[in-house]
Amino acid sequence: MALLNIAEPGQSPLPHQTKRAIGIDLGTTNSLVAAMQAGRAAILLDEQGVAMLPSVVNYTDAQMPLVGSGALALAVRHPADTLMSVKRFMGRGNRDAAGDAQRSHYELAEDEEGLVRFNTSSGERSPIEASADILRVLHQRALATLGSDIDGAVITVPAYFDEPQRQATKDAATLAGLRVLRLMNEPTAAAVAYGLDAAEHGVIAVYDLGGGTFDISILRLHKGVFEVLATGGDTALGGDDFDAALADWALRDIGSPSLAPGQYRQLQAAARAAKELLSNEAAVDLDLSGVLPSGGTIRVTREVFENLVQPLIKRTLVACRRCMRDAELDASIDNIIMVGGSTRVPLVREAVADFFQRPPLQGIDPDQVVALGAAIQADILVGNRPEGDLLLLDVIPLSLGIETMGGLVEKIVPRNTTIPVSRAQEFTTYKDGQTALAVHIVQGEREMVNDCRSLAHFELRGIPSMVAGAARIKVIFQVDADGLLNVSACEETTGSQANITVKPSFGLTDDQITTMLQASFSHAGGDKIARQLAEQRLAGWQLLEGLKSALTADGETLLSAEDRAAITAPMTELQALLEGQDADAIRTLTEHLGRQSETFANLRMDKSIREALAGVSLDTLDDEVLQ
Amino acid sequence: MSLPELQNNYFQLFDLTEKFALDQTQLGVRYRQLQKELHPDRYASGSAYEQRLAVQYSALINEAYATLRKALPRALYLLELAGISREDVSGQKVDGGFLMAQMDLREKLMLLDELVDPQAALEDLLADIDVDVNQLHEEFSRAYSVGELPAAASACVKLQYLEKLLLEAEQVESRLIDNQT
Repeated sequence: MALLNIAEPGQSPLPHQTKRAIGIDLGTTNSLVAAMQAGRAAILLDEQGVAMLPSVVNYTDAQMPLVGSGALALAVRHPADTLMSVKRFMGRGNRDAAGDAQRSHYELAEDEEGLVRFNTSSGERSPIEASADILRVLHQRALATLGSDIDGAVITVPAYFDEPQRQATKDAATLAGLRVLRLMNEPTAAAVAYGLDAAEHGVIAVYDLGGGTFDISILRLHKGVFEVLATGGDTALGGDDFDAALADWALRDIGSPSLAPGQYRQLQAAARAAKELLSNEAAVDLDLSGVLPSGGTIRVTREVFENLVQPLIKRTLVACRRCMRDAELDASIDNIIMVGGSTRVPLVREAVADFFQRPPLQGIDPDQVVALGAAIQADILVGNRPEGDLLLLDVIPLSLGIETMGGLVEKIVPRNTTIPVSRAQEFTTYKDGQTALAVHIVQGEREMVNDCRSLAHFELRGIPSMVAGAARIKVIFQVDADGLLNVSACEETTGSQANITVKPSFGLTDDQITTMLQASFSHAGGDKIARQLAEQRLAGWQLLEGLKSALTADGETLLSAEDRAAITAPMTELQALLEGQDADAIRTLTEHLGRQSETFANLRMDKSIREALAGVSLDTLDDEVLQ
Repeated sequence: MSLPELQNNYFQLFDLTEKFALDQTQLGVRYRQLQKELHPDRYASGSAYEQRLAVQYSALINEAYATLRKALPRALYLLELAGISREDVSGQKVDGGFLMAQMDLREKLMLLDELVDPQAALEDLLADIDVDVNQLHEEFSRAYSVGELPAAASACVKLQYLEKLLLEAEQVESRLIDNQT
């Protein structure tokens, strides 16, 4: 195990020990994993040399979930056990997923939490568990190809994913045993894959039409800084809908016979095959074997297909127009990047070129571009490029707000605000002696609470008893770089911290995750204690590594000899502990060392600010010369 | 130069002079420079404490940038630094002539849908609003620079009216786009 290769105390490890990081595109229909190999981002292949893993899991056998093309082959025979397009159900409630589930012929389990769970013949499964099973296979593939432990992963999500959908994705990765460095927006990843060598300025539009989701993002590139100006889209619109439109048309054409779930699956697969062929041909035969007792085919022309998908493409263009307006551009779009298999449809390419009045960029496979960009970002985040040649500034795709009187929404963080962001909101009590306050957080653009997505109900308790209106409770909403929300609160007149009980409207509680994690360990037959030790060692090792390089850079200038010793002494101690087996001792000392080095971290941040500003004047000159 | 200290003044954070007219290029360059150093991505493999700190700093820089980048929030912020709160600004009296003109513009906006070419009419209307906005920017800049704070606040409150009108115009535009696409 790589993390046991620790240098002798006092001796620094190899100067540029490369860490292993992977980028994962967890797609609706297909998933990919990529990593840096010989200085370039490359897609990792399975044993058969195949890049794409179908995002399909079959649960007929309780002991051995089957993932990928093997599962896909069982889709017709075991429709309810074979989960496809689970990304559409991530972070969603039973009620809003019912329509999609019916179309896919899944059986939903009743769940008082409102979370989607599928009934399979080997028990209930959540979309998170199914996604974790897909991620586990990709993790294994990376381990086999790279031949060492993986230090971290960047997982991509549609830019338009809301908070519960993001949280569900992160939970799935945690379940699969991955350390998530960042959730990265798919269009941003694509822009990174295209734009690394570009020290240029320019505005980029990324049009991403995947299997189940549509995203549009507009970014400004400026000397290695990618600034997302606006993003928009539709989390329930993609190539699947193209297939369904074609399948429904075929069904009408043969007199709308009622089909068994498996037969409809087969028809959808046939429609997909026909769609793919139509990208290069004027007319194809759609295979009806297994759908009609007599089998046979029907002729589909490209014109028929284009008429069917035209309204869907129009919907994407409406989102593009809105996004352009949100971006408040003072210049035109310089480049268009196409992402997702559905952008292979000629009518999509034509419509997009026509809309932006510019031909889209070619060059990187639209199916692979997201995973490649994620691998590049993972390599940076894991610390392999200390000079930091690239920075992404992303935005929150949907407004965050709270419920006010009469079921109205008051916006706290508007959509397209750059993240991370922190906003404070003051509340007061309306009754004498009131000690608790309920806050309801929602996400969405509509005015009424019922039309927005409910994220969580918070209860602030322990407010000091005062007359009505006297308490000033400050609630701070913080959205981190993953687009995930954290809330904290305090009563300002007394300074007392109010307790917050969070009840997520959807998604898992920490307890549920722990239970699932434990279940998955015993399921995999892994040793939980060994696992804990490995995790503690990794945490300790990372802190040590970080501190070593920090001390080398700034130890002499920022710290007195005494302060330095207060850090280096526990470091030596921790280094020795890491060779042993005592997970608890490692955890305790890692926490102690973490606290001990907080002041040093503060000093380093301050220094960064001073240096950033000192370095500015020259840069500004450059800019002025350029203009 | 630590976090609470920086919170006192966004202009200091970007090393800019405290005035209304502002060099957008310089603001952008400094913003990106600061984020390059302090964004959580730079600390993704750092300690949990460093990561939390980076989120706080980075969020503050984003907030400061958003406040200074656009004219109205920048004007309100300058007044706040001068001791005039947002409530004080909202409480400013607005002259009748301005209100009449506002009602006139709003009426035009509401009747837009009935015109033959609503898109063109909307663009004319937006151009008119733009002229008013620019005049008020100049008025604010003048009043603020000579220390006439009530006059500056009055320009601000008028800008708030126009901002609200622009928001409504955007909604109308969005409806027009949806109908035609």
